[in-house]
Amino acid sequence: MASDDESCLMCHKMPGLGRYAKDENQNATKRILYVNEALFKASYHGRLPCKSCHRGVDEIPHTDAEKVDCASDCHIKDPSSNSGFSHRAIVHDLSMSAHGARQAKAGLEDDLPDCKYCHSNKPYQRSDADHRQSMKFLNICLQCHESEEWAERFYKHISYRASIRRSSKQIVELCSQCHADRVMMDNHELDVVVGFNDTFHGKAIRYGDAEVANCLNCHAPYESGFSPHSILSQRQSRSPVSGDNKIETCRQSGCHTGAKEEFATSGKIHPASFTTVQMMRRNTLNRPGDADPETAFQEWVLHMISLFYKTLIIVVVGGLALHQVLDVLAIRRERRARGG
Amino acid sequence: MMSANGMSEERKFVRLTKSQRIQHAVLFISTGLLILTGFMLQGERWVIEMFGTAGDTIFWWRSLIHRIAGVAVTIICLYHILHVAFTKEGRSWIKDMLPGWRDLTDVYRNIGYMLGLREQRPKMDRFTYLEKLEYFSVWFGMFIVILTGIMMWTEYLWPKFYLDVAGAFHLGEATLAALAVIVGHVFAVHYNPHVYPMNRAFIDGYIKEGLMKEEHPLWHEREVAQKSGDNV
Repeated sequence: MASDDESCLMCHKMPGLGRYAKDENQNATKRILYVNEALFKASYHGRLPCKSCHRGVDEIPHTDAEKVDCASDCHIKDPSSNSGFSHRAIVHDLSMSAHGARQAKAGLEDDLPDCKYCHSNKPYQRSDADHRQSMKFLNICLQCHESEEWAERFYKHISYRASIRRSSKQIVELCSQCHADRVMMDNHELDVVVGFNDTFHGKAIRYGDAEVANCLNCHAPYESGFSPHSILSQRQSRSPVSGDNKIETCRQSGCHTGAKEEFATSGKIHPASFTTVQMMRRNTLNRPGDADPETAFQEWVLHMISLFYKTLIIVVVGGLALHQVLDVLAIRRERRARGG
Repeated sequence: MMSANGMSEERKFVRLTKSQRIQHAVLFISTGLLILTGFMLQGERWVIEMFGTAGDTIFWWRSLIHRIAGVAVTIICLYHILHVAFTKEGRSWIKDMLPGWRDLTDVYRNIGYMLGLREQRPKMDRFTYLEKLEYFSVWFGMFIVILTGIMMWTEYLWPKFYLDVAGAFHLGEATLAALAVIVGHVFAVHYNPHVYPMNRAFIDGYIKEGLMKEEHPLWHEREVAQKSGDNV
């Protein structure tokens, strides 16, 4: 890429390069075809030739372009096996997971996330502190390895995977783009997630706590052999949030390690309607009449506690306020009578 | 009794003993911290986002302070139980605090007076019906928040639904208590014209004779009959 062997940048370096295309619904969409070389070079795939992913494109205009397929073989070799590298295994995992397009009802396949939905080939970015740290570390690499460019890229390759790429807040936002979308979830006959942000986990995440569980910690715990690519539906018995597996998921290291069996036997984490009681806000029922009897009973109990306290607060605090006002008026009357 | 500036100094009576003032101070500080750090969990998204990248650290301190203050308030409540059970001043406190029929009649008589329907305020004793209500509300409220607080602290022992119930009681009781303390207690000891701007009993422990006659005439009569009062 550095020397632009394929001459792609001859055209694609032009900032104005783009066109309007029609999608399958005949809506015009803007396609930006400009490639910022510096940004691309700093990205995860920055050393790959364009044609590694963009197959075809031998003709101009590129009428022969194929859709990018992350499962195809790259032109680089996997140093661990010396064979062609590919994301095929992960693409396979994703296709078998709850997010695999084959899980979708006919006509709704496009709702499901593809690789690019989460992976945007981001540039390697670092904070200044990280940068200084890595420069220090790179000096160690460069004691033996001659190419600074190679060493830096290798270091980034490792260090970026060692740290968490998305914060809990970003993960919740990413998952919520679909799972908090009532219409989309209704189409797929799934429960819309409405209550997570009102749970203790959700509140801690809102503050920026990185220790507390986000979506992935329970739905794709690495400790139990899951990855974000292999998330399963709760209805599948192998799912970490299904039936008997649930308690083990709660008990994973760093979390509720000593939890008793009963810890996971009742109560919902989310979606929640009344399960997170708010004094000032009212969560509307997720799917009226859809809850099983046990959940409906629990929601009723929590609702009644909330109602009890709301009533008590109005009566007690209102009564106290009224009493105080009357008292002040009475004392003023006394003082006037005394000529004070 | 004449003081240096020639004004006659008012007689004072002991309203709160030293032990009771210390108990009040611990209760005041820890409850204040508990309300503050507790309601930080109920903040709207935009409020929390104002903390920016410091949010994580603030959340960590919030959780720690809430637990420390929770322990402090539990200790002071247990201490208070021993205080009312085993000390002379404590036993006299609880004896005067126990509600009786008299308090019920005081309620409608006093309300009648405040509305201008009766000529005189009912004569109230050492603790008025409102003070008794406040005091036993603290007993009741503390029982609930301490119990549910311990449940949520030992979350691994309980089914999630029990924790949801505990959380609902904890939040409900805390909201009720916070509002009742502000509207009931803070108002009564600061804004009430008898004591404005502040009832100083929680600092020096004394009540002036004038206020005592006005708010607790029965108690005043008792004290004067018993002894001539602590002349200061």
